Amino acid sequence: MSGADFEVVRLTLLTALGATALNLPLAVLAGWGLARWSGAGRVATETVLSLPLVLPPTAVGLVLLQALAVGSPFGRLLDALGVEVMFTWKGVVLASAVMSFPLLVRSARTAFAEVDPRLVGVARTLGASRWGAFWRVELPLAAQGVVAGTVLAFARALGEFGATILIAGNIPGRTQTLALAIYHRVQMGKEAQAWPLVALTTLIAFAAIAAAERIGQRRQGEVRG
Amino acid sequence: MAELDVDISLPLSQFVLQARFRSRSPALAVLGPSGAGKTSLLEVLAGLRPRAKGTVRMDGAPLPEDPERRSVGYVPQDALLFPHLTAEDNLRFGLHGRPDADRRLAEVAEMTDVGGLLRQYPHTLSGGERQRVALARALAPQPRLLLLDEPLASLDAELKQRILPYLFRVRDEAKVQLVYVTHHWGEARLLADEALLMRGGTVVAQGSTQEVLSPKALADVGPLPDADNVIRGAWEATKEGPALRVRGGLLWVPTAEAEPKGTATFLVPAEDILLSTRPLEGISARNVFPAAVRDVAAVGTDAWVRFEGCGEEWWARLTPASVRELGLTAGTPAFAAIKAHAFRRLR
Repeated sequence: MSGADFEVVRLTLLTALGATALNLPLAVLAGWGLARWSGAGRVATETVLSLPLVLPPTAVGLVLLQALAVGSPFGRLLDALGVEVMFTWKGVVLASAVMSFPLLVRSARTAFAEVDPRLVGVARTLGASRWGAFWRVELPLAAQGVVAGTVLAFARALGEFGATILIAGNIPGRTQTLALAIYHRVQMGKEAQAWPLVALTTLIAFAAIAAAERIGQRRQGEVRG
Repeated sequence: MAELDVDISLPLSQFVLQARFRSRSPALAVLGPSGAGKTSLLEVLAGLRPRAKGTVRMDGAPLPEDPERRSVGYVPQDALLFPHLTAEDNLRFGLHGRPDADRRLAEVAEMTDVGGLLRQYPHTLSGGERQRVALARALAPQPRLLLLDEPLASLDAELKQRILPYLFRVRDEAKVQLVYVTHHWGEARLLADEALLMRGGTVVAQGSTQEVLSPKALADVGPLPDADNVIRGAWEATKEGPALRVRGGLLWVPTAEAEPKGTATFLVPAEDILLSTRPLEGISARNVFPAAVRDVAAVGTDAWVRFEGCGEEWWARLTPASVRELGLTAGTPAFAAIKAHAFRRLR
């Protein structure tokens, strides 16, 4: 593995981890909300949150591009904070986070929906606040589903391409992740140099999926037990 | 005991739950057919139904809105232990941050006899063990009011017999006001001194268990569930062996012990009691005593007869034909015969 390959893998892992860390608290709260809230607008909210799963990644990338544009409210906020997202590793993190968010939300929602809401009631009669019942009962019981979803979302973030290339470009050493590097090398006619990267992504994705499966199985076993 | 003053309403899918009652009873039974709103009433008392209107007061002071500040213990029908916590951590849940947590844990574990189960997870416990852990968990923070939702309903007859004595202990020792939901009026009569009868979301009768739990009142409410007699007495040694001393005499009951001591509780199924309008002689049943019939009601294919004998109140389940032939009505003098082996020990 060349130094350049190493740099690509490092950037890929770090940005995928960053995206997952950024998503985790938001997605857990969103998943919990969707599982517990039965009011009007729930289905609509769920659909909007799931859109990145079905839209072409380039479409999502274009929306992000628009949202981050210098004149937009979000762009101005970032500008005021001195945060530069476009064509930086932060752009990679943002694009992968947006694209993998629905996977995590959906896993979290399923995991929270499986927790009997009456346990929350019992916890509250035992002195726990609503928030306390979330931390002490719902989150621990949903944890395995959330972790399995986190691993899946991480795997999704690893391979993000379409949205990333639109808002972060394909700058070696700066924003070039594994997916972008493979594309780049194939485009340059250096297929032979792309294969080691394919092997690497396969290895990382394999490990992630295997971990998610293991967690899922352990969970099923416990439910049955 | 504090005065529980309830005046609430809550729209449910079939009807509006509208309960208005006051009680100072240390143990109040809430009876009624399934779907009468009993569980919803308990949830309102526990503060778990934020949409409920009205007030719940104890000694005149309204209970706080938030369930966590109500000091109300709740034992749901299916125990609902926290599956990710050991029995001990379930018991400790409500003792979070209390300096006396260890002492309380030991006290409630002793009272419900769950000391040997503390390290187990709920899925390894039997139904009866889960109920006891749920009971201990609700008692641990010393609530003022303890709500029990059919704690025996999901258990088979043998397990029921094992849990009942713990309920007695809680009632007698825990210094907590009980509200006990059941559709089994043998249990209600045994555990509670006051009863509420509910139907279609409203309270249709309230009074002493003896008043409310009459065959007629229950026939009015719906099909009668199992109505075993539950008899408590003290052991007494006699020349013919140990016998059970009840309010108005001695009963012959089976025991494997030579010299049993203290008190014992027995269950006598209502269908195991014979009634006769003539004195009984030459009969193998060990317990034969005069019976004063108080009331009779026909419900479906059964005739229920409530009578007094040996200072206790009994229920017998006969056929309408035998009630007709014997001419049993309120006030009929009769004789009851019960085999010793019809008495099943609750332990």
